[in-house]
Amino acid sequence: MLDVGRHPNIELLAYSEVEKVEGQAGDFKVAIRRKARYVEEDRCTGCGACAEKCPTVVPDAFNEGLGERRAIYAYFAQGIPSTHTIDADHCRQLNGKKCGICAKTCQAEAINFDQEDRILELDVGAIIIAAGYDVFDPSPIPEYRYQKIANVVTAIEFERLLSASGPTGGHMDRPSDRAVEAEIAALEKKVKKSQKALDKLEGKFGETSAEFHKKFQAGQYKDDEDRRKWADKYAAHLAVTEPLEILKKKAEGFSVAKRLAFIQCVGSRDFRFYPFCSGYCCMHSIKEAMIAHEHEPETTSSIFGMDIRAVGKGFEEYKIRGGNNSNITYVRGRVAEITEGPNNNPIITYEDTRERKVKSQEFDMVVLATACAPIKGIAELAKTVGVELDKYNFVKTSSLSPVDTTTPGIFVCGCAESPMDVPESVAQASSAAERAAEIAFQPGNEKEKAVA
Amino acid sequence: MSKDVLVIGGGIAGMQSSLDLADMGAKVHLVEKLPSIGGKMAQLDKTFPTNDCAI
Repeated sequence: MLDVGRHPNIELLAYSEVEKVEGQAGDFKVAIRRKARYVEEDRCTGCGACAEKCPTVVPDAFNEGLGERRAIYAYFAQGIPSTHTIDADHCRQLNGKKCGICAKTCQAEAINFDQEDRILELDVGAIIIAAGYDVFDPSPIPEYRYQKIANVVTAIEFERLLSASGPTGGHMDRPSDRAVEAEIAALEKKVKKSQKALDKLEGKFGETSAEFHKKFQAGQYKDDEDRRKWADKYAAHLAVTEPLEILKKKAEGFSVAKRLAFIQCVGSRDFRFYPFCSGYCCMHSIKEAMIAHEHEPETTSSIFGMDIRAVGKGFEEYKIRGGNNSNITYVRGRVAEITEGPNNNPIITYEDTRERKVKSQEFDMVVLATACAPIKGIAELAKTVGVELDKYNFVKTSSLSPVDTTTPGIFVCGCAESPMDVPESVAQASSAAERAAEIAFQPGNEKEKAVA
Repeated sequence: MSKDVLVIGGGIAGMQSSLDLADMGAKVHLVEKLPSIGGKMAQLDKTFPTNDCAI
C-alpha cells in the first residue's frame, strides 16, 4: 500500500470515480470525478486533531459498523493517502448547522468547506478494472436470523473483531455483551450528571437525598417548591441507577467467545442466491478459527459445511493443521436453523450427514461465511467503461483469455472477474498488468518504447 | 516512453497491477472510490495459508 502511494509512476486518485470513457484500445479518453473531501490533500498532515474534536459520531464502515468514527475521518489508521475526509452526509457545517470546529482545530488550515467536485481528463492506452466485490448480505436468509440474533456475525465482521486495530482490540467480545456495555456506559453518564445535581441540593439543604426522600415521602415539605423538585430529581436518579446495577451485575458474568461455529456457503452454492462457489470461504473460516485459537487457547471451533474446499498450494495442509492444533472440528452437514438460547447464545440445528442424525448445539458466537457478491455499482461502471457482464454481474471473460474483457484494451482482474482469494488475485493482477503493458509499450507508439 | 494506463479499484488486485506497470516504466492512474486504497484486504487481520499480516 505504501509502495503504491510513494511510486513516482503512480498517480493516486483516491475518493474518485470514473465518469466517462471514450475511444478504443491504445487511445481512450477518460473523465474522472474527484469527489470533494472538503480537506485539501496537499495541506492535510493526517494528524487527526480534527477527528478528536468533531462532535458528530457515525458508525465506522471500515469496521463494518462495529466501531465509531467522526464526520471528519481517516478511512482507517494506516490508510493511503493519509488525508482526512469530511463525510458530507453527516457533517454539521455542510448540512447548514453551526459548527466548523475542525476548521478551527486544524493547524495546517486544510479544511475547505467550499471545495467542489473536480473533473480530471486523462488520455490512456489501456484500462484495468479491479473494482473488487461486495460481501453478501445474509439478512434475506430467514433461517440464520442475521441481525436478529446479536451473536450471529459475518466473516468480515468477525475479522474486524479479531484485529488488534479493530473495535475490540482483538478480543472476542460478543456483540450482545458489547451492546450491554455500551448501555452501561450511557447510563453511567446519566447517573454522573444527576448525581452532580443531587450533590448540589444536598449541600444546599444539608442532608443526604436518601434521608430527605424518606421524610418527603412521609409527608414533610409538601409545600416547599424547591424540595419537591429535589424529590423529583431523586426519583429520576433512582430510575436510572437501579437498572444500571442490574446491567452491571449481568456484565460481571461476561467472557470472551470461546465456542465458535462457522457456517459455510452462506449465499453461495445456494440456488436462492448464488449457485457458484465463492472459493475462498472454506479457507478463511479455517484461518479465523486458527487466529481465534491463537488469541484464546481455550477456543473450540466447529466448521459446518457440505465439504471443505481446500484447493490451492498448502491449503489442505493448512486445513489439517487447523484440525490438529487449533481445536477445529469439521462437521459435514448443512445448518437448518439458528435460534437464540439463554445468555444470547446461538443454538444451531443441523444434520450431521456422517452420522445421519439431526442434532443441535449451543455456541457463544456464530460466524457466517458469506458469499462473494458482485460489487454494487458494477452495472453502471460496466456501462460507463463499455464492457459486458456475465449472468451474475461479474465482468465477462473467456476461459482462454481470463483477463480480457469483451472490449479490446480493457482488462479485468481480482474479484471483479469472479470470486477468488488473495494469491489468485495477485496472480491475475500481474497477468492483467502484462496485457495492458502490451498496449502501453507497443512498438509504433508515437513515443519511444521503454525497456523494463 | 509509453502510453498511460488507468486502473479502476485500489484493492489488492488494483494495487498489484499498478505496481507491476509502474515498475515496468508505465505511468499509471489509480482510481479508488473510497477515501483510502487497500480494499477488502486491508480489513483482514491475517491472510491464509501463511497467516501473514494483511496490511
